[in-house]
Amino acid sequence: MSGRARARARGMALSPSAAEVGRVQASPLPLSVALSDSEASSSSDHVGTSRISQKCEGGLSSGDAGCTFKERVGKIRREMMDLSVCTREKLAHVRDCKRGSSGIPVKLVTNLFNLDLPQDWQLYQYHVTYSPDIESRRLRIALLYSHMELSNKAKAFDGVILFLSQKLDEKVMELSSETRRGETVKMTITLTRELPASSPVCMQVFSIIFKKILKKLSMYQIGRNFYKPSEPVEIPQHKLSLWPGFAISVSHFESRLLFGADVSYKILRNETVLEFMTDLCHKTGMSCFTQTCEKQLIGLIVITRYNNKTYRIDDIDWSVKPTHTFQKRDGTEITYVDYYKQQYDITLSDLNQPVLVSLLKSKRNDDAEVRMAHLIPELCFLTGLPGEARSDFRLMKAVAEETRLSPLGRQQRLARLADDIQRNKDARFELETWGLHFGCQMSLTGRVVPSENIIIQDHICQPVSAADWSKDMRTCKILSAQSLDKWLVICSNRAERVTESFLSCLRRVGRPIGFNVNHPKIIKVQENPAAFLHAIQKYVDPEVQLVMCILPSNQNSYYDSIKKYLISDCPVPSQCVLAQTLNKQGMLMSIATKIALQMTCKLGGELWAVEIPLKSLMVVGIDVCKDAFNQGMVVVGFVASINPRITRWFSRCMLQRTTADVADCLKVFMTGALNRWYTHNQGLPGRIIVYRDGVGDGQLRTLIEYEVPQLLSSVTEASSNTSPKLSVIVVRKKCMPRFLMETGRTLQNPPLGTIVDSGATRPEWYDFYLISRVACRGTLNPTYYNVIYDDNGLKPDHMQRLTFKLCHLYYNWPGLISVPAPCQYAHKLTFLVAQSTHKEPSLELANSLFYL
Amino acid sequence: MAENNIECNSVVDGNVEEVPNKKIIKFNPPLYKQRYQFVKKLVEQHQPKKVADLGCGDVCLLMILKYQKCIEELVGVDINEERLKWNGFRLSPCMGDHLDPRELDLIITLYHGSVLEKDCRLLGFDLVACIELIEHFDSEDLAKFPEVVFGYMSPAMIVISTPNSDFNSLFPSAVFRDSDHKFEWSRMQFQTWALDVANHYSYSVEFTGVGEPPAGAEDVGCCTQIGVFRKIAKATESAVLEHHGEHVYEVIYTTSYPSLQQMDYCRRVVTYLVYREVNRMKRRYQVSLRQHELEPESADTGNPTRKFISDPPVPVLTEADKAMEMISQPFCIGDKFYVPLERIIAYPRLGHICGNVEKLREFLADVVELNCDGSAVKVDLHDCGDY
Repeated sequence: MSGRARARARGMALSPSAAEVGRVQASPLPLSVALSDSEASSSSDHVGTSRISQKCEGGLSSGDAGCTFKERVGKIRREMMDLSVCTREKLAHVRDCKRGSSGIPVKLVTNLFNLDLPQDWQLYQYHVTYSPDIESRRLRIALLYSHMELSNKAKAFDGVILFLSQKLDEKVMELSSETRRGETVKMTITLTRELPASSPVCMQVFSIIFKKILKKLSMYQIGRNFYKPSEPVEIPQHKLSLWPGFAISVSHFESRLLFGADVSYKILRNETVLEFMTDLCHKTGMSCFTQTCEKQLIGLIVITRYNNKTYRIDDIDWSVKPTHTFQKRDGTEITYVDYYKQQYDITLSDLNQPVLVSLLKSKRNDDAEVRMAHLIPELCFLTGLPGEARSDFRLMKAVAEETRLSPLGRQQRLARLADDIQRNKDARFELETWGLHFGCQMSLTGRVVPSENIIIQDHICQPVSAADWSKDMRTCKILSAQSLDKWLVICSNRAERVTESFLSCLRRVGRPIGFNVNHPKIIKVQENPAAFLHAIQKYVDPEVQLVMCILPSNQNSYYDSIKKYLISDCPVPSQCVLAQTLNKQGMLMSIATKIALQMTCKLGGELWAVEIPLKSLMVVGIDVCKDAFNQGMVVVGFVASINPRITRWFSRCMLQRTTADVADCLKVFMTGALNRWYTHNQGLPGRIIVYRDGVGDGQLRTLIEYEVPQLLSSVTEASSNTSPKLSVIVVRKKCMPRFLMETGRTLQNPPLGTIVDSGATRPEWYDFYLISRVACRGTLNPTYYNVIYDDNGLKPDHMQRLTFKLCHLYYNWPGLISVPAPCQYAHKLTFLVAQSTHKEPSLELANSLFYL
Repeated sequence: MAENNIECNSVVDGNVEEVPNKKIIKFNPPLYKQRYQFVKKLVEQHQPKKVADLGCGDVCLLMILKYQKCIEELVGVDINEERLKWNGFRLSPCMGDHLDPRELDLIITLYHGSVLEKDCRLLGFDLVACIELIEHFDSEDLAKFPEVVFGYMSPAMIVISTPNSDFNSLFPSAVFRDSDHKFEWSRMQFQTWALDVANHYSYSVEFTGVGEPPAGAEDVGCCTQIGVFRKIAKATESAVLEHHGEHVYEVIYTTSYPSLQQMDYCRRVVTYLVYREVNRMKRRYQVSLRQHELEPESADTGNPTRKFISDPPVPVLTEADKAMEMISQPFCIGDKFYVPLERIIAYPRLGHICGNVEKLREFLADVVELNCDGSAVKVDLHDCGDY
């Protein structure tokens, strides 16, 4: 969606936050809520080894942290892995202080709460063995918990490992319990580790404690977050319920242990899968019903009516009916109908419905034993939104309106959560027994760096708002533009009239900004993708500078086939515009301006610049994203600046066969970029700063061990004497901390250019947060930067300022964006390839921003 | 059945089938399940509103009973506080209960306390279950027990189960089935005690059991013997319950289920049902319009292989018909589609929840757009809104 001219034009016409509704998935601007639900539940503890999972009904669900300990530890471990990568200690210039000092101090409230522990607090890890050995985890736990010795102690136990906050009298302790059967079981509890509060293991235990606490506050875990179904936001016309909730984490920031909470919403559909199917059947008719149904449902997450589990729909078995039988754990056969009647007093109304199939991954042991669960559509509720609904502008708007929280609203939610935790008797008891004290919300001081000037051809402009300077430069000459002499326009017969008026508009807006547009050759074709492609194949010759297509519809087939051909097979810059966009009369001028600027960039033009104090600096953006169609393929995008002014770019993209989002081809790309720099500047850049986006949890070490060396070897091989200095910065748009500025009695989003490099940062990293975008409504997400490698030795101040400057240079938006421009370019490029072309772009286009 | 049930059972009671011997007696389903099933069947038969499980232990029986639609109050009492503490949350409503609320309220409470103490919150129950409980009492406690349960609580029905020692002859070891058992009664002993108690407190009693003896040993009776006590109704019995008594039990856990008795949940369900019905009728109307255009070629769009509940297609109305049909048929004016509330309430589930049109209108107020006289729901005909 966001790759389309329509969305772009819309983005131009509306403020960025208004535009984000229509393009949640691909939005470069982070949304304030977690709308997507791509992750299956982690809470579902499929303990039973039965074939039909419903059998472990009620199982080890809520309230018992000990039971699900292992799974959860497994889940968190990935983030914890990153924390054990201490990059800062290798960076001599920031070892003592990583804080900058420029800018105006600003007082900020965070969504982090102090967690206080006694000075000498320690966590004691024990190993528990049973003799005779007992296999059942529940029984193991029951036996241990019933023991007086432990009954009043804070404990977390998963059946094997026991955590206590108080040390037992002896290192090895023997207890014996009697089962009700009269069998004596000897339990040996052996102390294995004493852990300081800063240990990652403690973070995991703290997280478990808080999960337990939130459950006591009547919240339910879905995925990793906790939601409160008793206070839903209803959107009945769209059959949606939104459950408010929180994403939580406990972690060490700088010197403190902090509890972080961020408001999140879960989208639930107030219809069962059966109702969804019935509706769909009526809509599509019988002929393609099963196909459409599978297409729409597979991959979605459902909640069952009768237990607290979530399942991913992996398949639909049309041959199985509720009247069929399955084998229960004890070997007896029972029909689904009878099972649900007996077990849950539920009478199934539709005996013809198929069953949903969900594959259960065994979490306990790592053998890839796959079990299946059969679910009855009538008893499953859908969560999340299907792709189709996501493109429903009206629906997304309704959702966004309900979920978007003002800074004050967000603060109120947080305050209420804190209050609930502090007031709830059970929650307080839980915290107290562990020795934890839930403290106040943390405030810190950030700095607002000065705004930047925008350099255009004949003057320096100080934009009224750094968020959007389109008005400031409407009639200003851009830095450089190639004139457009020979080009093609392909449109359908119907669109001829609008095309003509658009072209004249384009010429009109082009002249003042310095972009000369000559008459194109207009080719009229029939309204089908093949006709468009055929015309392109027929008329494009090496002389053609650009191809413009006026697309009759938003269908992917037009866009994808045209882009694929013109980006890989016959490399020519191309511009696709939706005919319906051009029909918006009042907006034609701004649409034309927007498109003219895009076309300039695609022809290799430069729009504006900012002042870069460092001479001979190359900046690089790298992004990695998954290919939409080919599972197991990732697209790596690499975009490097090739002039000191940072206005011209070299863009490469490669498809890579791997599932770990780690780039393999960086050495080749880096060397290519350095060569390109050399030919343009007769020398190598003095410094290189790489911004790496698209990094998942737990990948930090791989980045340092695999990607940084690739870049380094390319850099050192480039020159025999003094090679360019390299810095690598990991960019993350999603992070837990949020910052709000207190103004009088209310709260606001912090101003543009706010930098936070204390309090909410990590002691083991050289990191900072930067606010580089505005939101008219809703709450801003800061962007998180972690400098993992730094030869340049720039002062933190300079690194932060430079990053801020780079957020001004994205030519598709005349304003600040949330990430440095090279990252956004790389994202745009990978997105185009991953969504539309699935083919590497031709090297001939590498010098222009052909993917805008 | 759930794995945890099997496990917790092995903690809860001595499951005879696991005693290693040449002659292992196995019950299928396991004995503890048969006992729970027995109570569940009683509930299904007699539809009690208030049910208590004395000695609820790992709350397994309550977990089964919470799915019973007739129950509005479920109470568990146990002496082991720790066990109640970490099992309580197994009884909390699940997410589905919020999405599709129960018809009736349900409150579940777990009390820590002794069954031999009187707590007025246990008055007025319809069914009290004492499953494998009394054999854990010493003679002193056993003597107190009837006074509390029969005399004080005095529920409409009491079910008591206990091991049948006659059956023990089939087991290899001569000891009690559980080391905590203070006694195990023969059928004669149990029935004598039960009849005595029943007489004293004006209850009738029926004896039965679960765990059929193996072929050839029928004379030992069921492995578990059960007495079902029913209060002999007295015409003069005061309906007023003494609720001003003492609270001796400590509440360990309590939860209230969402239900249609609660206004906000009820309104929510009604709104969704109305939207669903209106959208369904609208779509059918649109299909009928389209078919009208395509006639006579249009084939049957119904689905022959699958049966879903569906209403007859909406006829396309002429201006003249409108006034007459308006009472109960959906209609269309301009690009607005109207469904009379009369028509909506004809949908059984909505009729059941709302009862009458006035009530329905009340529910829909401020949530759904109605036409000017409030007699029909009004929606855009062409607003897809329905993915």
